[in-house]
Amino acid sequence: MIRLAGVSKRFGQVEALRQLDLEIRSGEWLGVFGHNGSGKTTLIRTIVGLSKPSSGQLTLDGKSPTQKDWRIFRRKLGFMPERVSFYEHLTGAQTLRFFCRLRGLDDKVVAPMLERVGLAQAAGRKIGGYSKGMRQRLNLAQALLGDPEILILDEPIEGLDPRGVRDFFQLLRSGATGTVVMSSHRLSEVCDQVDRACVLVDGESKALGSVDEICESLALPVTVYLYPTQPFNGTLRAALSDLGASSVLQRTDVLVVEVSQRNKTVFLMGLHAHRQAIRHVRVQEPSMERAFFDIP
Amino acid sequence: MISRDAVLSIVGKELGDGLRNRWIWTVSALIATSVLAIAFFGAAPVGVTGRQGGGVVIASLVNLAVYLVPLLALLLGCGAVIDEKQRGTLDLILVYPISLGEYFSGAFLGFALALTIAIAVGFGVSGIVLMSWFEIEVGAYLGLAGLAVALGVVFLSLSFLVSIAARDRSRAVVSLVFVWIFSVFVFDLLLLGLLVVSGGELPAALFSTLLLMNPTDVFRLLCFKWISGVASPLGLTTAMPFVPSTLLLGVALLAWGALPLIVSYSLFRHRVANETLT
Repeated sequence: MIRLAGVSKRFGQVEALRQLDLEIRSGEWLGVFGHNGSGKTTLIRTIVGLSKPSSGQLTLDGKSPTQKDWRIFRRKLGFMPERVSFYEHLTGAQTLRFFCRLRGLDDKVVAPMLERVGLAQAAGRKIGGYSKGMRQRLNLAQALLGDPEILILDEPIEGLDPRGVRDFFQLLRSGATGTVVMSSHRLSEVCDQVDRACVLVDGESKALGSVDEICESLALPVTVYLYPTQPFNGTLRAALSDLGASSVLQRTDVLVVEVSQRNKTVFLMGLHAHRQAIRHVRVQEPSMERAFFDIP
Repeated sequence: MISRDAVLSIVGKELGDGLRNRWIWTVSALIATSVLAIAFFGAAPVGVTGRQGGGVVIASLVNLAVYLVPLLALLLGCGAVIDEKQRGTLDLILVYPISLGEYFSGAFLGFALALTIAIAVGFGVSGIVLMSWFEIEVGAYLGLAGLAVALGVVFLSLSFLVSIAARDRSRAVVSLVFVWIFSVFVFDLLLLGLLVVSGGELPAALFSTLLLMNPTDVFRLLCFKWISGVASPLGLTTAMPFVPSTLLLGVALLAWGALPLIVSYSLFRHRVANETLT
């Protein structure tokens, strides 16, 4: 549906996006990850049509969009920008009514939406008195108005506490929206929620695929935590190396072992022979965060 | 296809914002009190004191409108578009199914309505008092108020242009103060200087053309032509027998309203497309 082919975006001397190829598939949840300044917001702005590629092509449903196509696309689009200061003198309900009319929706959807995002009690209060979390929920509410088919969210969980993040994803899941694109630099909280991830480094897509695919392609090792029954001795440590551990780190009461994906099964089976010496085993697959740091 | 709901939504929002602007009501109140002060305590700008006749009062009000109405419009329009951009709401609005033209026309209409209401209140409140104390022709007073609204729309149009061209709000405000000073004070001084330097020999056609270059002069001349009884107190009949025709003045005022607006819309499109509207 949305496809970027060789898209680059330049701001003077700065190249914010470089030769980006990306397809946003219908019904998928795509996470766009990267450090600050990696090009996430530029990519999001390009997808919603606020930014035009310097080179390359963006297509909507297979064709280069005209103004009319953008308008049709935007009827089914919800957008949550990273930085927005709503009108302080308006109440939450008045704000949503304003955006509701822009979308051509009936005002009746405002009250249920405020209820849905947990702002029903504050509907009549001016936004000037809203907390950061409440503003973020209002921002999400305007994006969710009319349950758009596609949601584009720029750093949606920025500034939210863990409970706020949980509530945010619950809200998102409760809607009818099929396709979601969200940018974030908080990998641990977002990568479990998305079907695919695109990792941007200096405007370049360094990895694209499911979290498992990305980790696999990077051949990241599995981390195995071994808790011994007895105080450590050199025997177990030496045995672990023989079983294929690529590194063994000794901490106070645990051995942290790294094993390649290829050797993982053999290694874990081999531990059986040392079961008397091991009280507990914890296996940790490589995280997206680890992948993020290991991407060249 | 134009989305009427979307345009009306923008109009309503901008109208509400405009009417919340305290400066607008300060200037509106200033208009009302100045109108009354001039009427009751003397028409100082035309050199007459004491309770005045209708023509003298209207003539004084024309001069008052030249100072205050552009100020009102500039105060209202100085943050047009740029405030939305700095707040981040412009980007959000433009991702809704609304065209740049719909947004722009809605914003201008909203501001113009707020301006009209502020001028109507300023002239309306004082007008009621004036009508009961002076022999003022209702038509003449309403004509003046109508032309004041037109002058306000012209300066609103100019303020849109400056606001969109400026990098931020503070630069827009400074630029608009210069526009006001130039239009209200400096231009006429330059024109007088030119007359003096030329020994009063400036060709009539050139002088008329130069007058059309300043919207406040066009407004003054339109008042002179349209509103009966103000020509003499304004001192225009003797000094300027070569005043352009009413039609030409009307077209000039219309052009002063339309051209900056067309240019500002084109600049708005250009800056949005090039992402230079910061």
